[in-house]
This record gives sequence, structure tokens and C-alpha cells, in this order.
Amino acid sequence: MEGAVLAVPAIGFNAVYAVLRFANFAVASFATIGAFAGWAANTALGWPVAPSLLAAFVVAGIVGVVTDEVALRPLRPSGALTTAIASVALAIILENVVRFFFGNDPRGFNLAVYRDWRGFGLHVGPQQARDAGAALVAMAALFGFLAFTRAGKTMRAVADNPTLASLKGIDAPRVARIASFVGLGLSGFGGMLIALDTQVDPLTGFRVLLPIFAAAVVGGLGSIPGAVAGAFLIGIGQEMSLLVLPATYRGAVGFLAILLVLSFRPAGLFGQAAS
Amino acid sequence: MPITRRAALAAGLAVPFIGHARAAAEPVRIGALCPLTGAGGQYGPSMVKVIQAVADQVNMAGGIGGRMFALTVADTQTNPDATVAGGHKLIDVDRVAAVVGTWASADTTAVAPLCWEAKVMLFTVSGADSITKLPHHGYIIRTQPNTVLQMARVSQFLLENKAKSVFALSSQTPFAVDAYSRMAEALKQGGAQAIGQIVYDPHQTSFRSEIDRALAAKPDVLFLGSYAPDLAVLLRELYQAGYDGHRLTYGYAATPKALASLPPAVTTGLWSFDPSPDLGSPAYAAVRKILGADDPDPYSCQVYDHMNLIALSVAKAGQASGVAIHDTIRAISQGDGQPVYDAVEGMRLLASGKAVNYSGASGPCDFTPDGDIESCKFRFDVVEGGHKKLLSLS
Repeated sequence: MEGAVLAVPAIGFNAVYAVLRFANFAVASFATIGAFAGWAANTALGWPVAPSLLAAFVVAGIVGVVTDEVALRPLRPSGALTTAIASVALAIILENVVRFFFGNDPRGFNLAVYRDWRGFGLHVGPQQARDAGAALVAMAALFGFLAFTRAGKTMRAVADNPTLASLKGIDAPRVARIASFVGLGLSGFGGMLIALDTQVDPLTGFRVLLPIFAAAVVGGLGSIPGAVAGAFLIGIGQEMSLLVLPATYRGAVGFLAILLVLSFRPAGLFGQAAS
Repeated sequence: MPITRRAALAAGLAVPFIGHARAAAEPVRIGALCPLTGAGGQYGPSMVKVIQAVADQVNMAGGIGGRMFALTVADTQTNPDATVAGGHKLIDVDRVAAVVGTWASADTTAVAPLCWEAKVMLFTVSGADSITKLPHHGYIIRTQPNTVLQMARVSQFLLENKAKSVFALSSQTPFAVDAYSRMAEALKQGGAQAIGQIVYDPHQTSFRSEIDRALAAKPDVLFLGSYAPDLAVLLRELYQAGYDGHRLTYGYAATPKALASLPPAVTTGLWSFDPSPDLGSPAYAAVRKILGADDPDPYSCQVYDHMNLIALSVAKAGQASGVAIHDTIRAISQGDGQPVYDAVEGMRLLASGKAVNYSGASGPCDFTPDGDIESCKFRFDVVEGGHKKLLSLS
């Protein structure tokens, strides 16, 4: 279930990479912004979980588009590495903007906590099941968007072959804005899912940046099904590692997975081979 | 005006005194290296406020023999890398005589070698035993009780509450293993048992597997060696897992804001412990006034003492270097001198030739040769309805 929750921001990371061709490390801050937006909707406006998740998606998406236009788009002609480094700076700035307005204090949602369902020697948390369900709905909605809408198809076209897409008259800046809105909105959506199980604070997203990045790389940078597979692989791998490794080394599983997968498939599980 | 031989001679003789006059006016440069962000970010801002307030009080009273405190603030980010970067800047650029307020043990461990190599005094509120075992040559002073003191008192509390088997879920810190070993020894002597420990990576979104393994050992008390972010996850998941046994954690993790972020059903019955400030001390009252808070946190109390100890050491030594503070701190913090609770009063006594013994907001401030405090009080609380309620103070 941890894998399902991690998959959402990992998809966001890969959606941005697929279209804009750079690793946007600011996904961590958009996850935090989504967590705060969802928290505000839940506690200040009294919204339940589902509309709060929608608020997390929309707010993170809008902030994502605005910051991309202002901070990252002017740097894109300088190359993917320059833009990726700028995204690290953007992440730090956004984290501190959140800190400036909300402080460092942890915050929680106005939601009851339920005991686990038990049976057959197993126990499942209702909240974890709900969060995993929400993650699956978000993934299904994204796949539907990419498969059945005109905007989604233009995104796929640009991701598959930017040159051909431009020859066909596709408006690249518009597609970039759609990709930023959807990708960074999903990061916000995932950030709220993570905060539901942990807490809302300026580091909510930063704490999961490495597993998100690991999931995206293992699955294949730019591949949306790959992000899902990578996240589940990392999530399940981390849990299974406890059978053979002390819990202290659980965080290293993501990097071990990167090492193993990239040794045999340099483009990741679902990534296209570098041309 | 022509320069005569007599004027040139007078000017030449005056040169050494110009340097001396400038040295007398040199400020006492202090670096506040506090956790303004990261896991300790709930404490850093109030720590800096207290440090600044003591500097202002001393400066308004005329400084330390004419020397003013000059304060530079840096953020540890509760991260060893950032702490070392901040330490380098304070020591190499700002030329501080002392660094004050490092909070997380990993941060203090990382920055300590920079301090002792540069002969800069390091005043810390970190608790790991290993810190004062470093080869620091006397350049570390710690006002937080080490794990020996803490775990002796925690074990005593557990035994008083009829604990028989204790399992520890501990965040990965420099003191996690030491703390468990100390607790295991003390419990064994009291007829109880520490039955296992899992040291976890705190940057996880779930600890369900760790909790399953801990509960499989059937403990009657879980010791949660956490920081606030991971404590919130652990408490929620323990509740979900149906655990209704006792839970004990560090007071710095169970902060009022962290407790308020969780439903009361999840936190009710949680025990927490803190090294307690000296609640009856005038120095404690001064910290309350500075922060405008009825119950200031222990770290703000400790940095209040750090600054007062520095002021008194510099006043005693007549010099504002790390070496001077190193050489004189125990002459003003312990012994037979007249008890004082703030630097301004202490400096007045020192100026009149009297010996002083500083007692602070955090306790007596008497230090072992290693730099540890010799004793302090502890408070134990229980959480009810989302708020801490005092159980014992001794």
C-alpha cells in the first residue's frame, strides 16, 4: 500500500520528465504544497477526504504551472541539467515559503483514526486501504486522460517524439503547461495521501523525495506505467527487506533497486533505450 | 604642522597602547547554531530568541568589561551537513569564541571537531553519551543530561510503574543503541527485562512492519525513541494495530503541537519524560519572561544558561577567546562562590573581587571534567485529552 501512495508523485515526476525532458526535483515541494492545501480544505473548510484531495491536486498544479513559467521555462534552452539544478533551488524556495506562512509545527487532518480490520492472521488498515484506493483512482484517471482526451493525446505525442509533434503543429508551450499542471498536481495529490498517514509540515514531501526518485528511475524515467511498477517494487522491496536486513537499512533498498535494475536495464523497467 | 622628534617618539610609544585599546573594545563573538528548520525546527526559533535576549541584557548593562556580545545566527537544519557548513562559517569567517545551541546529537557530533581544533567552545543541548567521549580537550560543555543519567531515571520510572518487559522502537540516532543498553542494564537490576530493540530509518511513511515485529514480542511497555515526525506515525499505527499497552517517549518528541496534530484517542495514556528546568529558579523566571510562555521548553532554558556562563567566564578571564572560556568556566559555574542566577549580577560580584557560582534555568550547571552536567531534575507526564499532565518531578 505504501507503494501505491508513492506511485502517485512518482507518476507526476515521470509525466513532467516525459514532456519537458528534465528531472523536476521540486516534486517534493509540490507534494508539501498539496498536503497543506488538502489540510486547509479539510480543517478550515470542513471538506471530507475526496474533495480535499482534489484541492491538493488543483492548488499544487496551479502553483506548479506558475513557478514553471517564471523560474524553469526561461532556463530550459540551457539544457536539462541546468533546469534540474534550478528545480532543486525552486524546491528549497517553495519549502521556505511554506515555512514562512505556516511555521514548522506539525499539523494533522480532522479525521478519525480507525483500528485495523483483522482476519486469517492478517490485518489491514482502513485508512491505508482508502489511501491506496485513492491512489488507484488517480492513476486510472490519468490513464483515461492520456488515452481518451485530446490534451492527453498531445502530451503523449510530445513525449514520444517532440520534433514530429511540432511538425504536426502541436502547441509545445501549451502542452508543457498541461504536463506541469497534471504532473505537479499529482505530486500534490500524492503529498496529501502521504500526509494522511504521517503529518503535514514543511518537510512532508522532502522526506519521500528519494523513494519517489528511486521509483521513477527504476520504472524508467519518463514512463508512466514504469513509475507505478517502480513504486510498487520499492514499496514491496522495503517491506520484504525486513526479513533479511535490520530496519535501519530499509531506506537503502531503493538505491539497491536502482543499482540492480540499471545494471541490467539502463533505461529502467519500462523506459525507452537512449537513442 | 612640522613633525618634531619628540612628537614622533611619543607617537611610537603610543602604538602598542592603540592596539590594546582596540582589543579592549573587541566584541565577544558568539555563534548561535540552532535548529531553525528540520526535525528540531520547533525549538530553534525560541532558542535564538533567548540567546539574543541574554546578549541584549548584557550589552545594555555595559557589556562584559566594556566588550559587547556580537551574535551571529546559523541554521543547523537539523542536518549534520548543514551544521558543519554553518560551523565553518561561524568559526572561519565570523571568528566566534563560542558556538551555542546545537540540538541534534548527530549535528553536534559533526561540528564538534571543527570547534575543538579551532579552540572554540561548544555549548550543546544534545544528549548522546558519545559526544563528551570525543577527544574534545575540554571544549564541549553540555547542559542536557547524557543517556546514563536519562536512562537511569527512565528505568526507575518504569520499575515504579510495574513494567516487566520493555521493547524499544528507536529512531536511528547516535544515542539509540547506548540508551537501550543503559535501560536494559538498569531494568535487569530491578527485576524487569528489555526484550528487544528495532532501530528504524525515520524517513519512512509507515512503520507497520516494525510495529508488527515489536508487538510479536508481547511487551507491556513500548519505549519510543523518536523525534516528533516519526512519533506521530508510530502512535497512529500503534493505535490502528490495536496496541493498548503503555508507551513512553522523549518529551522533545511529544511536543504540544505534535500531540495536537493527532486525535486524542491516539495519544491518551502516552508517557513522556524531559530533563526538567529548575522551576523555582530566578533564571527560569527570566526565560519565561523572555519567551512570554508559562512553560518554556528545556532547550531554551539551557541556552539561557550557555550565554550567562559565557559572559561570566569572559568577565572572570578578562579575555574573550575560546581558550579563556575553556579555562575559567568551572571557576564560575561551581564551587564555593556566591550563588548567582544571571550574568549581570555575577559580573558585578566578580568586579568586586568575589567568587561566584552560577545556577541556571536548567539546573545547577555543575560540570564533570568531560563536560557533562553532574545532575538535574526530570519530569514525567501523561497525555490526557491531547495535553500533557504532570505525573512526577524529581
